Amino acid sequence: MAVSSDSCRSLKYPYVAVLLKVADHSGQVKNKSFEMTIPQFQVCDFTHSVVVHCSNFYRQFKEIAAVIETV
Amino acid sequence: MAGELEGSKALSGLLSGLAQEAFHGHQGITEELLRSQLYPEVSLEEFRPFLAKMRGILKSIASADMDFNQLEAFLTAQTKKQGGITSDQAAVISKFWKSHKTKIRESLMNQSRWDSGLRGLSWRVDGKSQSRHSPQIHTPVAIMELEIGKSGQESEFLCLEFDEVKVNQLLKKLSEVEESINTLMQPA
Repeated sequence: MAVSSDSCRSLKYPYVAVLLKVADHSGQVKNKSFEMTIPQFQVCDFTHSVVVHCSNFYRQFKEIAAVIETV
Repeated sequence: MAGELEGSKALSGLLSGLAQEAFHGHQGITEELLRSQLYPEVSLEEFRPFLAKMRGILKSIASADMDFNQLEAFLTAQTKKQGGITSDQAAVISKFWKSHKTKIRESLMNQSRWDSGLRGLSWRVDGKSQSRHSPQIHTPVAIMELEIGKSGQESEFLCLEFDEVKVNQLLKKLSEVEESINTLMQPA
């Protein structure tokens, strides 16, 4: 949770931080990190871009798991 | 002269200008611009301290992310101070914060986000049927494209592949995160 900052003493901003270790075809491993707000992690976020995009991470993964089982 | 500084429409405009400059990163909103557009009858010498006072009040409210009770108490205190604000001005500030609070808070949060954020996510599940090295494989694979980017910068696209085992491993981790979130978000 981001608690306080120089511009906002009462930030109270919970977020999910993800660190991905990604290996490309040559075997080289790179670290990629990014943050998500709680709604981005849990539910659909329609305000984020011009193209309406469901970027809710956890829900999408559950769907992938359900689909990959049936293939 | 003091009467000219009390107009509520002008004050509303002033608060918008201050918010644009202080929170939303809008360049070029100078004190002379605000004075000439909103308080043309007032001299710069008189306008300057008035602007500083309003800027200070707005920044205090935003920094503390005041709820409406705190806001009421804070503004009442400001009306009672020597050289503070009038109750009409307090009403304008209150109305402004109520309608702009969410947007200002979002801008302040973005100012404190220095890592990339998730901008978009797409996925596809493929069933692999044959490859040059194996005679017959039937392993489904999930392909995911993540769009990530830092504030004000172009997106980077990450294309990731997961087999079923990896999807389930990751799903388990995500459910632990979800549980953690639910625990953290419990009302105190």
